[in-house]
Amino acid sequence: MKFGSYKVKLEKKVNLTGWQAAMISILAIIFALVLVSFIFLHAGVNPLVGYKEIFSYGFANAFGLPLTINKSIFILLCTFAFIVPMRAGLWNIGMAGQLYAGALGAFAVAFAFGAKGSQSIDLSPGIVIPLMLVGASLGGAASGAIAGFTKGRFNTNEIVVTMMINFITFWLVAHMIKEGGPFMGSGGEGEGFKLPPSIQAPIINNVPFTILIALGLAGLLYFLFAKTKIGYQIKAYGLCPAAAKYAGISPFKIPLLVFVIGGLIAGLAGYHYFAAVPGVFKITKNYGDFGDLAFYGIICGLISQNNPLAAIPIALLFGGLTNGGRFVQGKLNLGFGIDYALLGVLMITLVAFQFFFRYKIVWKKIEKEKL
Amino acid sequence: MILKDIKRGDTVLEARGITKRFPGVVANDHIDFGIKAGEIHAILGENGAGKTTLMKILFGLVQPDEGEIYVHGEKVNFRSPLDAIHFGIGMVHQNRKLIPAHTVIENIILGHPKSGNILNLKRTGEEITELCDKYGFNIDLKAKVWQLSEGEKQVVEILKALYRGAKILILDEPTSALAPPETKKLLASIKIMTGDELAIIPFITHKLPIVLTVSERVTVLRRGKVTARLKTADATESNLAKEMVGREVIFRLERVEVGKGKPILQVENLSALNDKRVLALKGVSFSVHEGEIFGIAGVSGNGQQVLAEVLAGLRKAVGGKVLTDGINITHYTSLERWQKGIGYIPSERIDVGSIGDFSLVDNVFMNYYFDDEFSKWGIIDSKKIRKLTKEIISEYAVAAPSSDITAKSLSGGNLQKLILARVLSRKPRLIIANLPTQGLDVGATEFVQNKLMEAKKERAGILLISEDLDEILSLSDRVAPIYEGEFMGILPGEQATRENVGAMMAGLK
Ligand SMILES: Nc1ncnc2c1ncn2[C@@H]1O[C@H](COP(=O)(O)OP(=O)(O)OP(=O)(O)O)[C@@H](O)[C@H]1O
Ligand SMILES: [Mg+2]
Repeated sequence: MKFGSYKVKLEKKVNLTGWQAAMISILAIIFALVLVSFIFLHAGVNPLVGYKEIFSYGFANAFGLPLTINKSIFILLCTFAFIVPMRAGLWNIGMAGQLYAGALGAFAVAFAFGAKGSQSIDLSPGIVIPLMLVGASLGGAASGAIAGFTKGRFNTNEIVVTMMINFITFWLVAHMIKEGGPFMGSGGEGEGFKLPPSIQAPIINNVPFTILIALGLAGLLYFLFAKTKIGYQIKAYGLCPAAAKYAGISPFKIPLLVFVIGGLIAGLAGYHYFAAVPGVFKITKNYGDFGDLAFYGIICGLISQNNPLAAIPIALLFGGLTNGGRFVQGKLNLGFGIDYALLGVLMITLVAFQFFFRYKIVWKKIEKEKL
Repeated sequence: MILKDIKRGDTVLEARGITKRFPGVVANDHIDFGIKAGEIHAILGENGAGKTTLMKILFGLVQPDEGEIYVHGEKVNFRSPLDAIHFGIGMVHQNRKLIPAHTVIENIILGHPKSGNILNLKRTGEEITELCDKYGFNIDLKAKVWQLSEGEKQVVEILKALYRGAKILILDEPTSALAPPETKKLLASIKIMTGDELAIIPFITHKLPIVLTVSERVTVLRRGKVTARLKTADATESNLAKEMVGREVIFRLERVEVGKGKPILQVENLSALNDKRVLALKGVSFSVHEGEIFGIAGVSGNGQQVLAEVLAGLRKAVGGKVLTDGINITHYTSLERWQKGIGYIPSERIDVGSIGDFSLVDNVFMNYYFDDEFSKWGIIDSKKIRKLTKEIISEYAVAAPSSDITAKSLSGGNLQKLILARVLSRKPRLIIANLPTQGLDVGATEFVQNKLMEAKKERAGILLISEDLDEILSLSDRVAPIYEGEFMGILPGEQATRENVGAMMAGLK
């Protein structure tokens, strides 16, 4: 491109430090905020006021912050569920189905212990809670395993399979909690039964213990990919399946494994939201919203470039913005979902700014020559 | 300006002071270079000398750090290959870049500047056929590219460049993947092109005899610098080699004779399908013994690739048996075969033999990750694998500034050396070497052949697949010419001559 006597050129960057990548993400966020301020202006709201409300509720308010953290843990787990198959070059679009299956698994355990019967039942949390986690893991892993198995054995498209499982599981949950369903709540209003207090998850400072699981997994996955044999095989398969096959890496086991791990983690996200978040402790009527929220895991995974540690701040940001956005919408009487607007724009700018990860713009004075 | 009124002998392309640095290496160091119309100008150099880099610069794929390029006297500045194509330059890459699922004609048209306007496939077909007739290419324009042999793919690439109006054609290693008859045909076509004043062909190759038969001038590179510019008439094989390597080179292979031991590999009536699901291996039987090199000679596409893949566990057999040490391994996975001491050196060095985005260390690990010695509790012993990588790099003289660079930044020949070294370093009992010296320079070829001899001395059994008849004849203890999926016979080394093996490769029993 030419501008007067200068020409502009895109050059591919060779290397980029972690810091540069972080800076680029921060710039993208600021840019998105600027863009969304026009939406605020259009709605007759001073954007500074709008943002102040969003951020103070999302990140600094005694009521808002715990909600943000709960959402962020959920998004983070979904991000991991996306990242692990992605490292093997496979797209997990099935976090929704996997987390529903996880929730069903967890509640099935509670159900088996008779938790549905009475709120005052005295179950041993030291036994039932770990078993519920196992149930959630198994449910999610089983759901993931279907996609992994069909990919590995018949080379089916994992995107199609996971999407189909999402639908099936969505209706399965509806069947389980609807009136007359086995997990029906006492009111029969399309909600699941409520966990009795004895097996509600332990809460530390208003934050469920699942935060430890999420942060632990971040470290574990990082280690898995950096240092272990399994991680190596997953990466090799992801970068080049033919070379992986040559090296003896099984084109059946790797897809199965990554989808089992991914599904398992998504299952834990299901446990987290429905069995560990304070005040919930049941499969809620609007459980479908959490299936939608799970898709933020995809964006979060793409932005963090499949790095589980980098995913932490991004998940926190996403959690805070959805939460703060919802709040502001009510408080300022906005007629639209500011949380969706904000996150939508943010996704676009983050992806656009990713472009600068790879290219830089160079200005050059044009010399006296033809080209 | 597009090259129009050029006469034979005009300097059409000139590079002055071209310099390109990569982290840790100067790939091109103030290179001056020029070519004339109607000339074949060979560029020679060891693996990693900077040949591909220089050509990529002339084609606008890589931007030089310093230096200038002139086309027919006019200074140019190529920002991308589109600019170079505009000036009549075409390039055929070391690694082919065609789309396998498309037909020949579609591949030729694809990305053509006129392609928006080319609606008339019939006319285009006629134009291309005309080019084929003129230069003696023989190719089915409606065939899908995946059905073509390496030589035919090469022709498609050349046609693609010519159809875009290339007057200066850059061919990077055009013959390294070709069988001798295909090479011969290609060279004949290239000769015709130079007769046509307009076609000017810099020619890069490691094969010294080829250089001597076809080119008019030679430029030799060593470590990024020009070390010699000669008329081919004044060059001899040994002085070219000396300029390339910087010392006297003696072409010598130390043949060793070891008593042949018990059979390691027994193949009985083995058949298999190729990618087109056609029977491409039709019931071959043979055995490879300890301390023996068993050579399979054949033009590519006659089933030797399929055979190698079946033996390596990468392709299923549809009939027959494979035994090692008397155990039936026909249904073993590739991992089980590695663990049993079978080492496969694949012919596709990129995307099978290596992973471009992995570091050299991770690439070496490809053949070691399953060894308990290199991990504990599933955790990789990165120190050990790093040390092994360093040893391999230094023993095989792989030109790499560090073992952390990615495999794709290695030169073609150096990547081949890395793959070979990695497999041989496992000391496999059975080595399947599929085109082991393709793309290697003279020194490296000699080195690798000696390494195979060494393995033989250590009583490994070696199955050598090669299209290079000299290589097969000088290394093998027994030779099996393969034609259309069948062995035409199995000859003891002393009975295998150029003539009879050549005839059998062409299908005569
Ligand atoms: N993209 C890159 N990044 C870093 N180093 C590179 C890159 N491309 C080439 N090099 C280095 O530049 C040097 C010259 O490479 P080049 O590919 O030009 O060699 P070559 O003469 O074509 O060798 P060969 O005969 O093996 O193909 C090598 O040391 C190579 O490792
Ligand atoms: Mg090269």
